[in-house]
Amino acid sequence: MTFDDALRLTEVLMGFAFILQSIEHLRSFNNERILFSLRIILSVLLIFDFYSSWVIALLFLLALVILHRFQGPYNGGADRMGLLVLVCLCLAYFAPTLYWQEIAFGYLALQLVLSYLISGWVKIVNPDWRSGRALRDVFQFSTYSVSDSLRDFADSPRLLFVMSWSVMLFELLFPLSLFFTESLVVALVIATCFHFTNACIFGLNRFFWIWIAAYPSILWLQQRVFTSA
Amino acid sequence: MLNTLKLLLPALLPSWRFFDFIAPSPRIQFALLRSEDEVPNDWMLFRPRPTYLSFTQMLGRMVWNPVWNESLFMVSCAERIIEQPTQHSEDEILKRIRFELAADMLGDMKYIQFRLVTVQRVEKELVEETVFQSRLEPIVR
Repeated sequence: MTFDDALRLTEVLMGFAFILQSIEHLRSFNNERILFSLRIILSVLLIFDFYSSWVIALLFLLALVILHRFQGPYNGGADRMGLLVLVCLCLAYFAPTLYWQEIAFGYLALQLVLSYLISGWVKIVNPDWRSGRALRDVFQFSTYSVSDSLRDFADSPRLLFVMSWSVMLFELLFPLSLFFTESLVVALVIATCFHFTNACIFGLNRFFWIWIAAYPSILWLQQRVFTSA
Repeated sequence: MLNTLKLLLPALLPSWRFFDFIAPSPRIQFALLRSEDEVPNDWMLFRPRPTYLSFTQMLGRMVWNPVWNESLFMVSCAERIIEQPTQHSEDEILKRIRFELAADMLGDMKYIQFRLVTVQRVEKELVEETVFQSRLEPIVR
């Protein structure tokens, strides 16, 4: 995947993710409706590649206003990832040379890898995660289970033990997939399934779309580093 | 402006510590009151989750999930209050509860109040604790 193709695909996927997020605010308060209507318009322009660099700069300014409005991200990690993708695209557009443009976009790919690696690391050093207890707690009393019936999973400790280790091992081993394009594609398919499951069970649909938006950066970086070497 | 940049920084240098430990989980409960002096006894859980969701409903929520995402924002506000109470977080929760309540539910009620109850596991037991009670907010019709 070429640098330009990866950049363009990231823009389109991010624009789509922003539209999905923003239309949810159209049922909300007036000031939110105005902010997110603007975001929808800019995201549509971005998808159609209409003055993309300036549209991205405007999206960034709007993101600062939204950040101020909610005194932080509206939806935690998912919105932080959205900001990261946006800032990296912005820097990639306005960096003076191709070298710095690649550094900016490569930073997004690096953070994507870290998002799995660090998540896996902080879990595996916690005895509650290693025993499956932590995931049991998530199902039993956290705010994330989307229905009461899902709380019944807390009564299946063996299943949760296997699930905990599957998640931790996948997250920790994710960086190894970078050595080959094929292994990276397989890892990204698994990661997509992981985010899809989280979206269904814990209602974290925003994570699903915005993480996918960052995937072109890692596909580009893998080829840039390992195929050009 | 400086404050907004401070809010931006965690997005540029993320910690990625998702679910590193399972923190006490806040529940938002609210009460409707007829007068300022009334002591709230009838606390109601705000947006109790459904008993069951079909796979089709879950699929639908992949693209349209406004209520749940707003609830997650309110949980963030609750966590911010528990960490360091702010007017902004309290206002956000109060106005979103008010916005949700239908006119017939309000009846002759004059004030609204919410409290935060955390649920956490201590050894093998689930323990609930009330950690915050909001101000009384007049209901504007």
